[in-house]
Parts: sequence; structure tokens; C-alpha cells
Amino acid sequence: MKIIVPIKQVPETSNVSMDPETGTMIRDGVESIINPLDLYAIEEAVNLKEEHGGEILVISMGPAKAEMAIREAISMGCDDGILLSNKEFAGSDTLATSYALSQAIKKFNPYDLIICGERATDGDTGQVGPGIAAWLDIPFTTYVSNIKEVNENSMIVQRMVETGYEILEIETPCLLTVIKEINYPRLPSMRGKLLAKKKEIKTWGPDDIGAKKDYLGLEGSPTRVVKISKPKVSRGGEILMPKNESELDKAVDGLIEYLQKKEII
Amino acid sequence: MSDCTYNKVTQEIVDKLKDIVSAKYVVYDDPEKLEPYSHDEIVEKSYAKMPEVVIKPRTAEEISHVMKLANIERIPITPRGAGSGLSGGAVPLYGGILLSVERMNEILEIDKENLMAVVEPGVVTNDINEKVKEYGLFFAGYPMSVESCFIGGNVAENAGGGRAVKYGVTGRYILGLEVVTPEGDIINLGGKRVKDVVGYDFIKLMVGSEGTLGIFTKIIIKLLPLPTEKIDLLVLFKDVETAVQMVPKIIGNGKIIPTSMEFIDRFSMQTAYKYLNEPYPHEEAGAMLLIEIDGNSKTQLEEEYETIGEFCLENDAIDVLVADNYTTQERVWKVRRNIPEALTAYSSSKSSEDIVVPLSNIPKILPELKVIADKYNVLIPCFGHAGDGNIHSTIIKKPEMEIEEWKVTLEEVRSEVYKKVVELGGTISGEHGIGHKRKKYLDMVLEPVTVELMKRVKLAFDPNNILNPGKIFDL
Repeated sequence: MKIIVPIKQVPETSNVSMDPETGTMIRDGVESIINPLDLYAIEEAVNLKEEHGGEILVISMGPAKAEMAIREAISMGCDDGILLSNKEFAGSDTLATSYALSQAIKKFNPYDLIICGERATDGDTGQVGPGIAAWLDIPFTTYVSNIKEVNENSMIVQRMVETGYEILEIETPCLLTVIKEINYPRLPSMRGKLLAKKKEIKTWGPDDIGAKKDYLGLEGSPTRVVKISKPKVSRGGEILMPKNESELDKAVDGLIEYLQKKEII
Repeated sequence: MSDCTYNKVTQEIVDKLKDIVSAKYVVYDDPEKLEPYSHDEIVEKSYAKMPEVVIKPRTAEEISHVMKLANIERIPITPRGAGSGLSGGAVPLYGGILLSVERMNEILEIDKENLMAVVEPGVVTNDINEKVKEYGLFFAGYPMSVESCFIGGNVAENAGGGRAVKYGVTGRYILGLEVVTPEGDIINLGGKRVKDVVGYDFIKLMVGSEGTLGIFTKIIIKLLPLPTEKIDLLVLFKDVETAVQMVPKIIGNGKIIPTSMEFIDRFSMQTAYKYLNEPYPHEEAGAMLLIEIDGNSKTQLEEEYETIGEFCLENDAIDVLVADNYTTQERVWKVRRNIPEALTAYSSSKSSEDIVVPLSNIPKILPELKVIADKYNVLIPCFGHAGDGNIHSTIIKKPEMEIEEWKVTLEEVRSEVYKKVVELGGTISGEHGIGHKRKKYLDMVLEPVTVELMKRVKLAFDPNNILNPGKIFDL
């Protein structure tokens, strides 16, 4: 199997603080890591490779330091990596990003499968995966929680939907976005790390992938951030605390009255 | 005095306490509010005891008044930090007054020129590190319960923790103390001095005195420059023997002193994964070491971990996994931190032990524990700070054993474990303390004369045996 895993490098957000004035993240001294949800895509690719053989290519778009994310993926068991990094790519929204990634993926035709994480923890859109499939004009499905069967020209997958699970057959080559439930990502091994350290990671620009420049960067991105605002949290509550048995009835009456006032009962 | 007969707390005494700290900081006659102060983190209910009254003073002067009152009225006082201890040290064994330092929670000073900080005893230890991080500094003497424990309790117990391999235990970082003595005097020991040899080293005496010699009201701690980088290795081995033989080898190699080196056996690890509701990913491993190194240069750390990793692989490690960013590090440490709670969830009939042996004997003690576990039909999963010789072997009741039989068996198992530990040059507690949980075993590890001298020291400080009676030893 030839599997392609597009990943994104994101800021480690567990310990991040926000600038209260601009509403943006304070990025100083923040570590960069593989988007945590992409780890499940990498793990699934490595599992498939271990079971069916083949090779895995990791691809990422971002600044030069995103190379670290690619090396980390290689240390987990991926075979090769490509970094799309060029000032022409800067400012790309999900449309332009999925275009650039799809152009790069075309260079690796034929492939069997593209696996993406559910969404990135910074942008939180979940659009790039399906976007890539649309640009490549291949079938895709999202929220995959289990790959049940891999056949010659198709696979059977289980996806999570609001009401439960769907099981569907999808023709390959295809794109899947996977959710946390699908596996438990491994830690990179030291042997993998040493291997990844020596690996040459190619950096490609727009010309290397035959991309139209007006489809890239700010120019190719119809999305505009107009305003960032914080949602207001309004939690008005009342605490009714009966101190002894005699106050119990009063508290219950109070609760009923409160619920009626809110038109809940 | 040999007996512990104290007077009861009367309404009159409660009123006097209220005069000292104001009524809202005195809890009396309210079992629901008193109950949380009746135990520490030991699960077994038999170690708990209800206080008669809880008082929450704010200043050393208030504590001084309370101490003096208690001496006049002959009422015991038990000091308490966050209650995260594991030997019953903060349990009011004779009822009386429980004195909680929870309101004394200010970081008073961060002295960058001297690399020190002055803190009150009720500061959550983690808060100190959060605060001094801004200055590129850290307090190295913190235990595993860092997010909940108070610094005052750390000093009273001389807490250890995961990083003792490289940084030592709490006591190493305590340079000065303001103490209210059991008779109610306020004294100052040490100060912002790196060197000080005037008189007996009372700071050393106070650190680890388990709340029996005084109540700390100000603590001067030493800070260190915060290392900017750290890397964790999770090294998998086929069995316990192969894993533990590695511990003295790594330290003995002399090239690199890890920040911490935790040993975890398969049962502990599996139980923690189950508790966290995550699949167990290391089926092939019978035991593992979690090794952390820190420093300021990523390149140097990479060289160091490769050295340690290669060394482990040469010595039959199955695999070396690397966590070099916050996300992956948190993943491995979360599992390690959750082991005690996971074991509690597995069985509440258990005893967390805290044995410590010379590092070179770590490979010898673990097989002995296995023999004892099999002999008495109990489980003794092991995990802990192997890198400093401290293993948290946890004696656990198997589900089929009757509770009455368990009570007898536990005593026998504990005695036998301690006997082996002593034979191997070890002792019965590395960081949890004696409290009242282990006091009957004290003569296994201390000579009679030593114990007698300790009792005299106690009486010199506390002639009426008012402060935390029944801990470490009975007078």
C-alpha cells in the first residue's frame, strides 16, 4: 500500500496563554508539535503498513521548522517526508492549503490511501482533509473510527456519526479523516529517531508542484478574519442549601419556583 | 510523661480559640466539616481520627497563642498542610485541636540576587514553581503530589519525589525557618545564608520532624536556574530483573546523572492504563524504566539520551521510546502519576510502602518481594523512584482473600518486607515518613539508644507532649 499522511505542525496549546486585548495566542516560547489529532492518522498508516506492507509518505506545509514534525512522523514509522515551504504559501487558508497539498500529492500518483487527522487543534476547521480529496477528485469520508477491511480496490470503514456508527465501503484511492477512537498513537522509538535524524527531507516550492500562484497564499484564500471576539460566559445560578430537615421543603419549593421561572417545568 | 491523657476541648476553649483567630476560622461541632481533617491520603479508614476542633490561623502570633493555650489546657495540637501525606502524620490521633495552615498561603518574597524565596507553609508547592518560572528559576525539592501538597508539609516530611536522583530531597533546599515551638515561642532558624555552622543544625532537625517539634510559619527556600530542556525515555524490558539491573548500571556509569529514573512493573503500568481508560500498548514488556534527563542544550541532551538508550539496548532492553515534547512527556508521566490512584481503584485493601535500599541492592530487593508475595498470596506491584533506591511496593489484597485474614497477613507481609529491606542495608521509609502508620516498626531500623535520644529531644522541645503526639514513636 502506498499511503500519504498530510500533517500540520501546531503550537503546543496545553500551557498557552491568550493576550486578553487582541484575543490571540501568545506564541513566545511555545513549543511546536505535530497536531495531536494527526498522530492518529500517522499511527493508522503505520498499522496498515505493518499489516499489509508498503510505504508511507508524510507531507506538511509550513515554515522551515515544520521539518521537525516530519522527522517526528518518520521516527514513528513513516518512510519519507516532503515539506512545502515557501513565502508564496504563506497566509493560505484551508482552500489554498488543500490545493497546495493536493498538487504535491499528485506527484506521488499512484497512491492507495490518504489519511488525515480529524482537524488541527489550532485552526479547528476540519476542512483541509476533505478539501484535498475534492481537489484530487477522489472519494473521501470523515470521522473514521475503524478500518475494518482492506480490499484490492476498496475498503470497508466504520465512521462515527451523531446517532451511532455507519459502516461503508469506499473505493480506493480515497481519503479518510480519522478520529481518536481509531487507535492509540505510539511514542517514537529511539531507533526511529536516529533514522529520522539522518533522513533528507525535501523542501518544495510552488514550482516543484506545478501550482498556480494565484491559487496560493493570501491571493488564493477567500477566507478573511474580520474580527476576533470572545464569547461571553453568563452563568447565573442560585445555590439552595438546606442546613437541616426543616429547611428542606423550603429549598425544594425554591428549586421548583426557579425552574418555573426559567420555563423549564 | 508516658501516658497520653489530654483534656477534652470544651465550649470555653473553643471560645478562646475564636478570640484568637475570629469565629469563622474555627470549625467545631460540625462533623461534616471536620471529617476532611480526620485523614490524609491513606485509604484505610482505621488510620483516621476526628479532630475535636479545627483552627485556621493566619499568623505566627496566632499560632503562638494557640500553642500556649493548648499547653495550659493540656490539649493536643496536630498541624496540617494539604493532607496529602501517606503516613498519617497530619491525623489528629488524640483528637484535640487540628491546626491547618491553609490560610498561610503567600509567597512573601522572591529574592533573585540570592536565588531564594520566602514562603508561607500553606503555599501549594506547584504555585512556587509557577511563580518563579517567570524569573527562569525553579524549586527542585518537590514531590509527586506537587499540584496539591503544601510546602509546609513537604518540609515537615522532608518530601522526596521523582527528581531526587539528581536534585536530592526537600531538605537540601531549606535554608531558613520561622518556627512556633510547641511551647509557643517564635524562633528563627538559619537565614539567607549558604553557609552557617553556628550551633547545632536545628534546620536539619526540623526538616522531616513530621510536625512533632514545631510549626513552620515562614520558610526560606533555595532556588535553582530552571533547565530549559528535558527529554524522557520510556525503556521497555522483558522482565523485572532485566529492568532493575539497569538502574545501578546507569548511575554507576558515571557519565550522566538522570533527573529521575522511575521503575514501573507490568501490573502497575497495566492497572494505570486501565484506570485511564486507554489500551495498554506495551504487551511485550514485563517492566520498564522511565528516565528523564534535563539541561540547557537540546543537542547535548540528544547525545545524552542516545548514550543512555544505546546502553539500555546493549543490556537487553526491548525498545527505547522517546518523549521530547510536552505532549508526549505528559502522556508518559500521566500514567506514572496515576499508578497510586489506579491501584487504589483496583483494591482499597492495600498498603502503600515506601521502602528504600542502597541503589546497588535494588536488583536484589525486587525478587525478594516477589517471593514474599507468592508466599502470602498477596500482590506486591512495585513502582517508584528506583534511581534513588526508593521503591513504592504496594501490598494489595487479592479479591478472594477474606478481610479478617488480610489484616493478619498484611502485618506479616509488612514485617517480612521490612526485614529483607534492613538486611539489604535499607530502611522502612524513604519519603512518606513514619507518622503513626509505621511507628511500631521503628525499632527494626533504629537502635534503642537512638530512639531514646530522639524521645529526649522531643521532650526538650515539647515537655507536655502537646504537639502531634503519637507520631514517629510513643513517649
